[in-house]
This record gives sequence, structure tokens and C-alpha cells, in this order.
Amino acid sequence: MKGAQHFRQRLVLSTLSNTALRIDDIRADSEAPGLCDFEASLLRLVEKISNGCGIEINETGTKLRYKPGILAGGRNLVHDCGTGRGIGYFLEPLIILGLFGKKPLSITLRGITNDSRDPCVDTFRTATLPMLKHFGVPIEGLELKVVARGAPPLGGGEVVLKVPIVPKSLTAATWVDEGMVKRIRGVSYSTRVSPHMANRMVDAARGVLNRLLPDVYIFTDHYTGSESGKSPGYGISLVAETTTGCILSSECVAMHSGASELQLPEDLGTQAAMSLLQEIRLGGVVDSTHQGLLFILCALCPEDVSKVRVGKLSSYGIKMLQHIKEFLGVQFSIKPDPATGTVLLTCVGSGFQNLYRKVS
Amino acid sequence: MADEEAAHKQHRASRAGASAGASKLKKKKKNDRGPSTKQSNPKAFTFRSAVRAKRQQAVSAERQQRKLHVPILDRATGEPPPFVIVVQGPPQVGKSLLVQCLVKHYTKHSLSNISGPITIIAGKHRRLQFIECANDLNAMIDAAKFADLVLLLIDGSYGFEMETFEFLNLLQVHGFPKVMGVLTHLDKFKDVKALRKTKKQLKSRFWTEIYDGAKLFYLSGLIHGKYSKREIHNLARFISVAKFRPLQWRTTHPYMIADRFEDVTAPEDVDANPKCDRNVTIYGYLRGTNLKKTMKVHIAGVGDCSMSAVTLLPDPCPLPSAAKKRGLREKEKLLYAPMADVGDMLYDKDAVYINISDHQVQFSKNCEDAEKTQGKDGDVGETMVKSLQQSKYSIDEKLQQSFIQFFKSSAIQSASDSEADESDESGPEKDDAMATVSEDGRLRRRVMFPNEADEEGAAEGPEDVNNGDSSEDDITGEENGDEERMVHGEGEGEEEEEGEGEGEEEEEGEGEGEEGKEEQENEENEDVEMGNALQWKQGLMNRVGASKSNVNLMQVVYGHVEASSKDKDFQEDISDSDEELFKPKRQRHQASKDTVAANAQNLDLEDCSRLTLEVDDWHNQEVIEAIRDRFVTGDWNKASQRQKGEVEEDDLVYGDFEDLETGEQHVAAENHEDAERRLKKLALRAAFDAKYDGSASLDEENKEVEGPKEKDHFDKLKEDMELQKQRNAAELQDIDATTRIEMEGFSVGTYLRVEFRGMPYELVHHFDARHPILVGGISKSEESAGFMQVRLKKHRWHKKVLKNRDPLVVSAGWRRYQTLPVYSLEDRNGRHRMLKYTPEHMHCIATFWGPLAPPNTGIVTFQNLSNSQPLFRITGTGVVLEWDQSVQIVKKLKLVGYPYKIYKKTAFIRDMFTSELEVARFEGASVRTVSGIRGQIKKAVKAGSGKEGSVRCTFEDKILMSDIVFLRTWTKVDIPRFFNPVTTLLQSRDTVWKGMKTVAELRSEQNVSVPVNKNSLYRPTERQPRRFNPLQIPKALQAALPFKSKPKLSAKRKKPLLESARAVVLEPNERKVVSLVQQLTTIQNDKAKKRKLEQRKKKEAYTAQKAKEEEESKKRRREEIRERHRSQAVPGRPLNKKPRRNV
Repeated sequence: MKGAQHFRQRLVLSTLSNTALRIDDIRADSEAPGLCDFEASLLRLVEKISNGCGIEINETGTKLRYKPGILAGGRNLVHDCGTGRGIGYFLEPLIILGLFGKKPLSITLRGITNDSRDPCVDTFRTATLPMLKHFGVPIEGLELKVVARGAPPLGGGEVVLKVPIVPKSLTAATWVDEGMVKRIRGVSYSTRVSPHMANRMVDAARGVLNRLLPDVYIFTDHYTGSESGKSPGYGISLVAETTTGCILSSECVAMHSGASELQLPEDLGTQAAMSLLQEIRLGGVVDSTHQGLLFILCALCPEDVSKVRVGKLSSYGIKMLQHIKEFLGVQFSIKPDPATGTVLLTCVGSGFQNLYRKVS
Repeated sequence: MADEEAAHKQHRASRAGASAGASKLKKKKKNDRGPSTKQSNPKAFTFRSAVRAKRQQAVSAERQQRKLHVPILDRATGEPPPFVIVVQGPPQVGKSLLVQCLVKHYTKHSLSNISGPITIIAGKHRRLQFIECANDLNAMIDAAKFADLVLLLIDGSYGFEMETFEFLNLLQVHGFPKVMGVLTHLDKFKDVKALRKTKKQLKSRFWTEIYDGAKLFYLSGLIHGKYSKREIHNLARFISVAKFRPLQWRTTHPYMIADRFEDVTAPEDVDANPKCDRNVTIYGYLRGTNLKKTMKVHIAGVGDCSMSAVTLLPDPCPLPSAAKKRGLREKEKLLYAPMADVGDMLYDKDAVYINISDHQVQFSKNCEDAEKTQGKDGDVGETMVKSLQQSKYSIDEKLQQSFIQFFKSSAIQSASDSEADESDESGPEKDDAMATVSEDGRLRRRVMFPNEADEEGAAEGPEDVNNGDSSEDDITGEENGDEERMVHGEGEGEEEEEGEGEGEEEEEGEGEGEEGKEEQENEENEDVEMGNALQWKQGLMNRVGASKSNVNLMQVVYGHVEASSKDKDFQEDISDSDEELFKPKRQRHQASKDTVAANAQNLDLEDCSRLTLEVDDWHNQEVIEAIRDRFVTGDWNKASQRQKGEVEEDDLVYGDFEDLETGEQHVAAENHEDAERRLKKLALRAAFDAKYDGSASLDEENKEVEGPKEKDHFDKLKEDMELQKQRNAAELQDIDATTRIEMEGFSVGTYLRVEFRGMPYELVHHFDARHPILVGGISKSEESAGFMQVRLKKHRWHKKVLKNRDPLVVSAGWRRYQTLPVYSLEDRNGRHRMLKYTPEHMHCIATFWGPLAPPNTGIVTFQNLSNSQPLFRITGTGVVLEWDQSVQIVKKLKLVGYPYKIYKKTAFIRDMFTSELEVARFEGASVRTVSGIRGQIKKAVKAGSGKEGSVRCTFEDKILMSDIVFLRTWTKVDIPRFFNPVTTLLQSRDTVWKGMKTVAELRSEQNVSVPVNKNSLYRPTERQPRRFNPLQIPKALQAALPFKSKPKLSAKRKKPLLESARAVVLEPNERKVVSLVQQLTTIQNDKAKKRKLEQRKKKEAYTAQKAKEEEESKKRRREEIRERHRSQAVPGRPLNKKPRRNV
């Protein structure tokens, strides 16, 4: 394989399918060649939760050999994610790997909790974790706690992730009914800025959303003191819940636009609300961010048919489908549903089981 | 009052005459009717005791629960593969004869030799495959892994043999299939009594081994060298109704038993080097689960290999058509046994083989002339063969001479040239029209067809030869179709491979796909802006786009568009290939920005799951209205329609027109809820069918006993499984075959041809059809090797315990391999402590390195696989608990040190460690002296101040210089990373597989005695009596002590006192008194003695009297009670005619 693209997908699928991986030409022609710090950090994280894995990187960091070990899981692990990418970057692979470990995983991650590139921890908590229950993951042990917020660029946030192990395997899901949006919830947080910012974002978002639905409730979450990380920042994360239990999410984080001015909270609120409406318009049982996760969960099911509906296929999702075929040998049948502009995906699971689990 | 009533004259029944007889009859009837009254009046016969009722209920509930098994979902749909019936037994017990008789019974066909699987059609829905298990431990192990039903042959005249029990144990470990016992050689018994006794004995032993009531057949003897027809008929009946429980391992792993085995290596290569790696094909029915092309397989006795090609072949032994009729027609009683030389035709992927036995091969010129005189043309196949015979040159020679011009401008090429080019083409296509000598020396000719049109005719020709089979026409027809499909499939595979190999092209393709999508999206957006009036148009556009994308989406994702992108790349490469050489790398990048730079950018694309969507203007009311119905505040009807997949957004705008367009969609997209309901109905029906299938299985019987009741957990579980199965079938049925194979793999029950490249030549050289080849699929995670923890128990019939790190052959999953286990036990605190030997009668944990088998897999171990052992060969059985890449097993380590300097409670210890580093590892560890004084290690002494590795310790008391100090600790045991696959298929069957030897074997071979550590031997202990110094009490203390505690300084008197030695002389008067007293005492004693005797006598008499009285009173009382009971119990009945029940 070549290039640094979709590094996480490759790493996760390689670990799950227990196939050794070799990636060449990682940013070989770039100004800063080789693995980035966050990728190295991810590798360290994988090494932390697995036993017997082998990682070889050449001097320039442009070549990587990875031999997966056994997913061990474990309690009271700590990992510093650095400030290259948000914690969401690490959470996405971690949640899948954690499900198939020897022991339940409980890990503290430090770094940037909210980032514009990665799904923020609020979205992860409110939208991603509930998604797993459709695939028979025991929901009791699944938990994400935000201990401290960390806004970019300096971070300083902290979250605690607890993932249970699946007893044997996931269960295949037929999840095609999107339902109708019955309520919209959200979290608007602010740290190291005036607490008023959060309210301003909420007002703006409600202004857009209330024209369609009265049941909109957005929590404001202000952080001070030790919980507030190292940098000022604010953002909003919205989730729309449908009558059939699908959860669509969108989010916006204040970015430094041009000069060191953060965006206006009103703009953020409106932007988040609009992108949520856009997600709703696209349809599907999950939003565009969670397509990849959805596909990998379908592919990891026992050898039953899973059927899911998504909106437009995102490029991340497409790449995930390709990687799934490559590593797990699972091919999806993809049928567009012209009436709704959505896509129906059907697959026969790979029969993946949690084989690392100890039996008594 | 009551007494008065009782005193009434009772009825006296007549004792003689007609009425007496009538009453007797009546009574008899009443007695007979006992159980029937119970049923007609159940209330009268309920439990009398609540406790008893409860207990009985508990017992029955427990019995029920014990019968329940976790339901295993059998995902196979369609026709099941033939059931494998393994015939096993010790040598000379009549296995082959039984198979022959059964085959004769089913197909009226006499088989001469039994080698390889024999497939027959046993009924309208049942195919059977008979396999005779060779008398070899390796063959037995493999057979235990694939048998659906085992016919266990036992020599009745001899009794059970070790093989039988070994095989039973193997079966138990690898999932217990159905077992039927068959007793043979019963005609050797002359005495009927002895026969009956033996039968009984053997049956009871058989039952204890399997379960009470296991079927045991008796084949009473031979008639004309065959078993009696009637008995075989009965056996066949039992086989035909046998139900097979799905086994856990087999329902999760695909496997195949080789029906046919061919060597398809190019003959030139074999000629050049007879020991070259071979390409082989293996044919067989797929069992277990679906097989994916990318899967790795394990060939038992060879090792793990990857399949180079898998192709679907038409079923060589298909079930008869499903027309309604009773029984099988004679024509439908097919027999397929390519290894046993019965079928005359063999179908391959691209050829058909016709077997002609030697005496029939008589085609010569004379023969042909004779036929011509007859005026009748032979069939097509024959003429073809003849024409081949007539030709003077072989095909190779002809090819050498022929010339082909590929392109107008190109040079004329001869076949010999082109062959060199294509030398790396696949095997089967190359060796056209050549005769091969099959493994048993038969001449086997392959017929190649010039084109497809001729194919049918050619295939029909040989049908005459194969007069037993009926549906040959269908087969050939199917085959043609399949071939086409197959070709298509292969093409795809190649393309995909390319795509995977070259990631760049793929990216390009993907990028394009995305662009296309974006465009489509833009179009949509524009349309939205145009407003409602244009919505119908938009709908149309959508539909058109969708129908296009129906093809495209799969292509976009799975990359069939590479070709075009590759072309583009290629062109661009050509355009700037000349300049590129002379430009520095960075410049080149800038120059060809849209190709390489874009590519590079793609390569290192940011790994981000979030997609930034371009957002519509949601302040626009119309845009908002577009998704109004996606909210609960919107129109629910429209929303539900949307779910159904039929959007009639504006009936006013386009009414009929739309219907025409979407006509098919109405049918195709079914309402989700409806579909769900339909599936549930199907599932329920299937469950019902299973329950009332005539032969209800065990758990169903329970339910019948209980009667109808509400669904419990078990029922729900089963129903869910059935529902999932139906859903799978429903989803997969409308997907075309190629995609389906891509999605779920080859389905169970299909006949496959699997090709392997580069197999060792020994596999072909030592091939023996009597040892079936098992090809088992292994999942991705089972491919690698690691440490396995196994709960192991030494088999109780193995005489010796197993030694730690002695090599052991393990059979786990499909595999057999030799490995070095380390035995351990888990302590209470979770520590794994190494054992030197396995416990005698207890489980222990064995940890070894080997290819992984999933947890809960049963394993069985052997020390030696040779057949020449008189004893029980299975050494242990166990189950896999866990995998890991590192295991912590420890053993005890006792470090010993000696004090060389003692202060008050501090002592300096030497010889315990050898360096400061070692000490650092143990700082703070607790130590102990022999006398039990505990202490702690503090620090190493400074270098130079003592011996290297000396250490300072503190103790709870002052220790002695003579004390020895112990440090008790644990040290990690290394587990050898060794395993050695048992490759029995790669050697001739009569040689014994040789693996690593045990230490004992090595010692006996090398004549080395067991090393003895002299210090470990026991010697008689010599203990010097310990001398203690007298206690010294300081003078001051002595003075202060009370007298009692003071040491008594005066020595003990040795001589008695003078007084005690003195004689006493009495006065005469005194003497008189003394003698008188003495006499009086004597008299008194005598009197007392007499009195005592008298007393005893009296007492005896009294007790006798008392007992007598008691006896009498008891009698009386009993009589009284009886009297009372009689009078109370049945007032009307005469006392003396009491019926006797207590007999």
C-alpha cells in the first residue's frame, strides 16, 4: 500500500483481520516526509492496547510495517494524543478495536477534544455510541466522559472512554428505516471565554431549527478552571433523533479565521444547524461522518445479511468499502434508492468473532 | 350415638351363586379400570404432599433443561451436500463388505474395490457419501472431523478393540456426530446362549460409551459372501431417517472431502523434473459454511495453502427432479465414485473425460472398416477419436508447422514461438487433448471441444457409454452456461487484482467517481432552486441518474473503471516521459501538476471521516419545505410513502406519466413493514415444519409433554434465528449469481473444483485414494500462530502421566501438529505455576505454540501416531481456553545465602546474588531463615566492601551465623516456540510419521541413563543429640527471686532415709488385735460377695418377668388397635374377607 491516506482504516482492518500491513511512500514527496506525530501517536496507542504487535518504521518515516498482535484491552490506560489532531481521530479506531479485545477497555485520552477536522467528543458521545447498540453491543459498559475540555491549538482536554467487549460477535442489523426527526438535542460548550458565547450559539441554532421542529433543546456547557484546558474556544454539536432511533449529527467549532479572531458564535450556531438540516435532507440512518463506522460494523457481523441505508456515499465511506473488501473479503451490494436519493447497502458479514476473549 | 349407628347390622355379600359371581366380575372390572379412572378424573389424583409435588416438579424441570442445547444456526440453504457416512472399525471386521452391500442395496451396483468417497442417491431428498476409514490413526482423526454418521463396526466374536474406543474419543472431541454400532462376525458363535450374552454385554458397554439407547445393529452372518439382504435393508432404513445435528466447528468452517484428485501439472515440467512442484485440483462438495475465494485452506496432512482458483461445477450426482412421485426411479439411483472407478464420465471445468476400460479400446483400422460395412456411422465421439487416430502427426507437431499472423504488419509467428511467450499460462488450458495416465495406471483420455456448438453433440456421444445416468443432458447444458459465467468471473478477479496491486489507479478511479457524484449533486441543487414547477423534471433526472448510478455505484466503489483511468494515465505518461528524465524531481511535480501532484495529494489524503457538505440556503422557505416531511411536525403520510420508496410528490403535475415510469418500482420496492411481516410468517412456518416433521427431535418431544405454553427464551432464540435465516434468503435471492458469490462466497452443497499451485510432489506421488483428503477452510485470525492455553486432562486409559515439554501431537480444528506443551496450574491468585508432569486425574493447563484454533475448540493429543502400539494411543483431551502472544508461566526459585556478618538485627548475606544488578531487582523482597526468622532485603553492599552481590538484610530477630537465608521467588518459564505440522499425506501410507522425539526415546536410543543429581537423593539423616548448657542465673536476680523460683542448690538425696528402712516389732496384745481385725474383714468381704451374687440373680429373674409382661401387653395393644381399625375402616365389609394387597 502506498501513501498516508486512510491510515486509520488500514490500521484497524489490518488489526482485526490479523493481516500484516506494509505502507510505502508515506508523504514521500512532501516537505515534511514520513509519518506525522498524530499517526505515530495512533500507532503507540494501538501498541498500548494490543499484545505482541510489531511496528517497524524506517528512518525517514516514509515506510511502515505493521504486524498486528492480539487485542488485549485493559483498564486504567492513559494516552496522550498530542495536539496534531483531535481526540476524535483516536476514538474512531479505538471504539472498534476495543469491542473485540480480550478484556474491556477503559482508557484516558488527553488532547484536543473539539476540532474542526475530527468529530468532537460530544458528537461521539451522543451520536456514535448509540449507533453501536443496533449491532448488539452491550450498551451498559459503553461510556465516554468528558473530564476536561481542550480547544485547539493547545488542547489540554481529557476524556475517559470505556468500551465493553462483545460476548461473541455482533448481530446483523437491518437498518433501513430512517423515520422522522422527532427531537433535536445538542451541546454548546465554551471554555476560557465568556459563558455568554454558548447561549448566543444556542439562540442562533434554534432560530434556524425552530422553523421545522419545536422540540429543540441545546445544553450549554461552560468550563472554567482546571477543566477548561489550555486554549479558549467554543463550539456546538447538534444531534437529530428520529422516530426509529437513528441519530444524525452535525457540529461546528470556532476556528481562527484569518487573524486570531474566532468566528462569531451566531455564525457557528447557524452553520451547525444548517449542516444538520443538510444531513437530514441527505437521508440515511446515519450521517455522512458515521458511514465508515457503519460499514465496518456491518462487515464485522456474523454471516448474516445486514442492510443499511445511507445518504450520499462519502469518499471516506467509499474508501472504507474498498478497504473492507481488501482486508475482510466482504463485498457490499450497493443499490441507490432513487425515490429518496439514498443508497441501500447490503452485505453478508464476514463471520467475525471475538476470538481473543477468554472462555472459562 | 356413633356406636349405636355402627352397631347396625352390616350387609353380607353373597359368597356363592350367581350374584357372587357377578360381584366378583364387577370387582375385577373396577380393578382393571384403575388407570382409566385416573384419566377421567384427574383432580382426584393430584399430589397429596406439597413438598413432594414441588420436588417432582423440580426434577422434571431440570431434566427438561438438561435436554436443551444452545441452538446452532445452520445458515445453509438449498440442497444439502451428501451426508458423509464413515464406516470405521478394526481391520478384518467387514468394513468394505458393508459398504459394498449398502451400495448394492441402494444402486444395484456391485463395487469391486472401495477407494475414495462413494456418493449415491438414497432418496428423493437425500444423498449419501460412504467413506471407508482406513485403519490408521491419521485417517481416523480426519474421518472424525468430517463424519456426519459413523457406522462403527465391531467384531462380535472378538469384542471391542482399541481402535473403536480411540475413534469414539476422537469423535467426542471433534463434535460428536451420530454413531451407530454394527456387530459383525456373529456367525462364529455356535452357542445361542453365549451369543445372547455377548450381545448384551457389548450393548451395555456401547451404551455407556455413547448414550443409553444408542442403536446397535447385529449382522448375523454371511450368505454367499454378503450380509443378509434383510439386515442391510434395515440398516439402510435407519440411515435414511437419521437426523444430523449441526456441529459447532463445522457450521463455522467450510470444508471439502476430495471426491476426485487430479494432477494438472504440465507434463513437460514433470518430464523435465519429476520432483517439481505440482499443480493439483481437488473436487468435492462444499460443506459447512460458504467458502470465499480469498480464504486460506488447510489440507489435513499437508498444511495451509491458498487456493489459486475455485470454480463451480455442475453437480455430478444431482438429486432427482422434484416431481411428485413415490420413491426413486431406477434411472435416478445414481452412483458417483470417481476414485473407485465406477463412473465412466468425468466433468471438468473445461473438458470431459471418458474412461474406457482397456478391453474396450479396440479402435483400429480393421474395426473401422467393419463398421463401415455395417453402414452405420458411429456417434460423434467415436468418429472424433477415430479421426484423431488417423492423423499422422500429433497436435504438437501440427502446431509447430502452422503459422499465425497476429497483425498485418507483424511477422508471422509459429506456434512454437508463441508457446514460449505464454509459458506462464494456466495449466488446464494448456494441456489440451492429451492422454494422461491417472494414478492407478488407467488410460484416461481428455476430449477437447472445438467450439461450444459442437460441445453438446460431443457430450451426448459419450452418454451412451454412461448408460446408468439419466440427466446428463441437463448437466452439459448447465455446464455451458456456467462456463460462460465463470469466464466472466475470472476476468473480474484479474481486474480486481490489478486494482489492488496498483493503488494509484484506484484512487484515480475513485476521484472520478466522486466528481461524477458531485456533478449529480449540483444538478439536484439547481433543480431545487428552480422551484416546484420543475420538480417532476427533477424527479425524472433523479431517476435517470439513479439508473445510471445503479451500475456506477458498484463500479465507483469496487473499481471497474480502472481501465479508462489507466489509459488516461498511460497517455499522459507518454506525453511527458521524455522530458521527465532530465528534470529534478520537485520541478517535475510542478510541471505535471494534475497527474502526479494530484496523485501524491491523493496518496497522502488527510485521514478524516468528516465530510464538509455544501450547505443550502436554509433561510429560504422553499428549501425548508423540501424537508418538512422528514420531521414529525410534517405530513406523516408522505413520510411513510417515502419509506415505501414511492414518492408521488405532486400528483397534479404528473399523474399517469409517473405511474408508467415507476411501474417496476412499485413492484420492486416493497414496503418495509410488509416484508418484515412476511419474513416472520415464513420463519414461523419453517419452525412449525421443523417441529412436526414426523420425527420430532428431542426438544420438541418435551414440548409435547408440556402442551402448548407461552414462548420462553429458548423458543424466542430459535425463532429469531429462523427469522434471520429467512431474511438472509430474501435479501440474497434477487442478487445475480456472480455478485452473490462475491458477497457470500460459494454456497454450501455446491460441487467445486479447487486448484492448488506449487504443491509438493510427494502429495501426488504418495496419493492413495483410500485415505480421503480433507480440505478445511480457516478464517483469517486462525492463520497465524500464537500461544494457546488449553485445559487438558490426561486420558484415563493412558498409562503414564505426560512430561512437561515432551513433544505431543495435537489435533485441533482441521490441523494436526506436533508441539511442546508446558503444563501449569492456576493458583488462587491467578499465577500460573509450572508443573513437571500432568496431574494423574485432574485437569491442568497446557500452553503451547501453534497455529491458532478458536476458544472452545476441542483438542486431542497423541504421543505417537504409529499403528504398532498395543496400548491406547490417545494421551489426553482438552479444550482451548485462550490465545495470546505471550504467556506468563512461572516456576519456583529458591535463592540461598549465608550470613557473614551479623549485627543486632541486621545481617550481611553473601552468595545469594552474583551482582549488584541482581540485588536491585530484589530490593524489598522478603527473606527467611531456616529457623523461621523473617526479614527483608535492603540494599547491595558497596562494591569492594564485600563479595560481589552481597546484600544487607534486616530481620525480626537476631539470626545465627549457622542460619541459612532463603529468598523464595518465581521465575518465568520460556515456552518453546515450536510446532511441526504432521504431514502424513506427503509420505507413503505405510511409513510412520516421524516427528520430534521425547527425551525418554532419545535416552533409550542413545543408551543414556537418567541423570541423577546426587544432592537430590535422600540420605538417612544423622542428628546429634543437642547439648544445652546449664542455665545461668545472675546472682542478683537469684537473690531477688521468690523461693519457689530459686534454683535449688542442694543436691537430691541418693540414699533413702534411715527411718524407712527400720523394722517394726509388735506387742502380743497388738498382734492379737491386728489378726482379729484381719479375720473380721475377711468375713465381711465374703458376705458382701454372696449378697452381690444373690442380687444379680434376683435382677435377672425380674427382667425376664418384665420382658414377658411387656410382650403380652404389646400383643394385646396391637390386637386392640387392629380391632379398632377394622371397626372404623370399612363398616360394611366382613372382617374375615379382607382382600390381600400387600402381596
